Amino acid sequence: MRAFLTAIILFSVLAGLCPGIEAARADQPTTIVFLTWKPNQPEGWERLIHRFHNEHPGIRVKRQVGPHSSTEYHAIVTQRLRNRDTSVDIFLMDVIWPPEFAAAGWAMDLTSRFPVQEQKKFLDGPIRANTVQGRIYGVPCYIGAGLFYYRKDLLEKYGFKPPQTWEEMITQGQRVLKGEGGPGIAVYSGQFKQYEGLVCDMMEFIWSNGGAAVDSRTGQVSLDKPAAMQAVSFVRDRIIGKAAPLGVLNYEEPESLDLFIQGKAVFLRNWPYAWSLANDPETSRVAGRIGVERLPCFPGHDSASTLGGWQFGINRYSRHPEAAWQFIRFMTSAESQEILALESGLAPTRRSVYDVPLIQEKTPHLKAFLPAFKKARPRPLSPVYPMISQELQRFFSRAISDKGAHLPAMARAASSRIERLLKLGAMPLK
Amino acid sequence: MNQMSHRFYLLLLLPTLLVLLLFIAGPVGQSFFLSFHRMIIGLPHLGAPFIGLQNYQELLNDPVARHSLWVTLIFVGTTTFFELLIGLLLALLMHRRFPGRGALRACVLIPWAIPTVVSAQMWRFLFNDAYGMVNYAMFGAETSAYIPWLALPSTALFSLILADIWKTASFAALLILAGLQVIPDELYQAARVDGAGTWRRFRHITWPLILPALLVALLFRTIDAFRVFDLAFVMTQGGPADATNVLQLYGYKKMFVEGWMGYGSAVSACIFAIILCLAVAYVRMVGRRLLEAGTG
Repeated sequence: MRAFLTAIILFSVLAGLCPGIEAARADQPTTIVFLTWKPNQPEGWERLIHRFHNEHPGIRVKRQVGPHSSTEYHAIVTQRLRNRDTSVDIFLMDVIWPPEFAAAGWAMDLTSRFPVQEQKKFLDGPIRANTVQGRIYGVPCYIGAGLFYYRKDLLEKYGFKPPQTWEEMITQGQRVLKGEGGPGIAVYSGQFKQYEGLVCDMMEFIWSNGGAAVDSRTGQVSLDKPAAMQAVSFVRDRIIGKAAPLGVLNYEEPESLDLFIQGKAVFLRNWPYAWSLANDPETSRVAGRIGVERLPCFPGHDSASTLGGWQFGINRYSRHPEAAWQFIRFMTSAESQEILALESGLAPTRRSVYDVPLIQEKTPHLKAFLPAFKKARPRPLSPVYPMISQELQRFFSRAISDKGAHLPAMARAASSRIERLLKLGAMPLK
Repeated sequence: MNQMSHRFYLLLLLPTLLVLLLFIAGPVGQSFFLSFHRMIIGLPHLGAPFIGLQNYQELLNDPVARHSLWVTLIFVGTTTFFELLIGLLLALLMHRRFPGRGALRACVLIPWAIPTVVSAQMWRFLFNDAYGMVNYAMFGAETSAYIPWLALPSTALFSLILADIWKTASFAALLILAGLQVIPDELYQAARVDGAGTWRRFRHITWPLILPALLVALLFRTIDAFRVFDLAFVMTQGGPADATNVLQLYGYKKMFVEGWMGYGSAVSACIFAIILCLAVAYVRMVGRRLLEAGTG
């Protein structure tokens, strides 16, 4: 690892020498480096970059591909930005990163290029996630939110409407299981491994019971409040090993989706990308037999989805901020978002794209996702979110996998640790 | 003349020393340096103030770190014991003369030659809760009895241990086999003449003579097991409930996921110190054994 970092540093020093050579030859196009990950469906990306090159002959986009996992990609991006590596111009940010990237001075303040009237054309959630103390640091590329997939055929067969509450989901699922009788079928599938996805899934249970991790009014950590505790115990006692197989404790998105598309789960919590995979007859046994809804909630409360999705950011030390901005503006235009939606299955962040006839015709499900997108909630916004997330993952994983654990004491301990981290993150900028 | 050649040797060694200094002493030193500072990459405006031993103090009182140390010790203890035991049996087997011995020796080394990341991925599939071969082998079509090995805190560490034993028992076997091969046949012949049985021949000839090799294998295996990272990284990411959160993974997460460079470096420094102590203790022990074997 260390040798690798040294190599990166050496590389960046060498790379730093290059633009000087480039500038000497004015006819050469400006090369901007886009640090990205490998997309699931690359077609849309390829086409857009090709089209960008045609429209902007003076700019060349060079892609560097990082790891696919958000956490791993974060490690690479932060290592490079922290060294003020000017060989990166554009990077992607997960929706939870902008506060960190802004506080650290890695992401360029884009407020003058991306003014409020332009921001208004985008959905609120991602704009809020990119805004830190009134300034904006990223442009939303695509949006994600926790969605509730269900087996339309099975629910219809047993005369059910998609469940409104978690309790109803379990009742319906058990009725279906009884009727279908096959072994190895589960009511529910989701992501409960000790990783970032666990935080997303658990927050949805807590929010949909009126709870929160951090109280938005008082700023206090409220994991140990009754609303949160009830939701966590519900997952431990009614979901893990009951509605969902015990194996979900080691499931990320692909494994949980796999269960569903094998026809072995009635309900699934997943992100928008799952729709096209679950409806592809080549990979899925349930293609064409599924529906999507907002997630269930607890009685008397409202459904809640965790906000996901990715943003474009510009390296503050980039030598070509203007070219980088050209690229971002192009990639986040309405036309580009249409192409990304149609060819790469990515949900647009611009409101207007949802009303485009072609989009409504070819991807009618996007309209069904919209209510969840509009109400999606962010995970705690803090420059030290990666640390907070580790504490949350630890707490949730222990809370749901250890039936004998004393929940209130664990929740209090986790809350006080997170409070300390929040204070650390709120230390004033010099 | 002697002085000259001495200098000449040093000159020849210089490039190696420089490379070692640059790529080993440098980073290790930097790691120690960082561990005395508070440095959080997401909060550069806090600077990197010198805080003395505060990171280490915090580490001593960190329940997660203590738990990680415990997990690591269990891992090191069990894997090393079983790897040496199985390695010894394999070595004794491979030492006998039988047709196909060369092929067997080559086969035994295959698990060790596979990169850990690949074999970890393989074991992840084998231990899968729905279609894993381990479950199929144990329960066949009885899918309701399938155990989600990597999902339960009680079995996840066990699964990692098994994967490690499978992978490195052959390495121990190789080292012990080398020890076996230097034992002169005459000793066994003489013992047979004196009427010693299989057990006595093993107890009084084989065992004392392979002990140095066994100790070397023990040294390598313990140190290597302490540095376990990739298995946990690929198979479980440290979960569930930190059940497989070995020290190296904890340090890695602190540094590269949370960006807490100072604290992560303190974790690394502690692992380094533990391994160094072990190495020194073993080398002294092995050295004495070798000396005894040489003079005795």
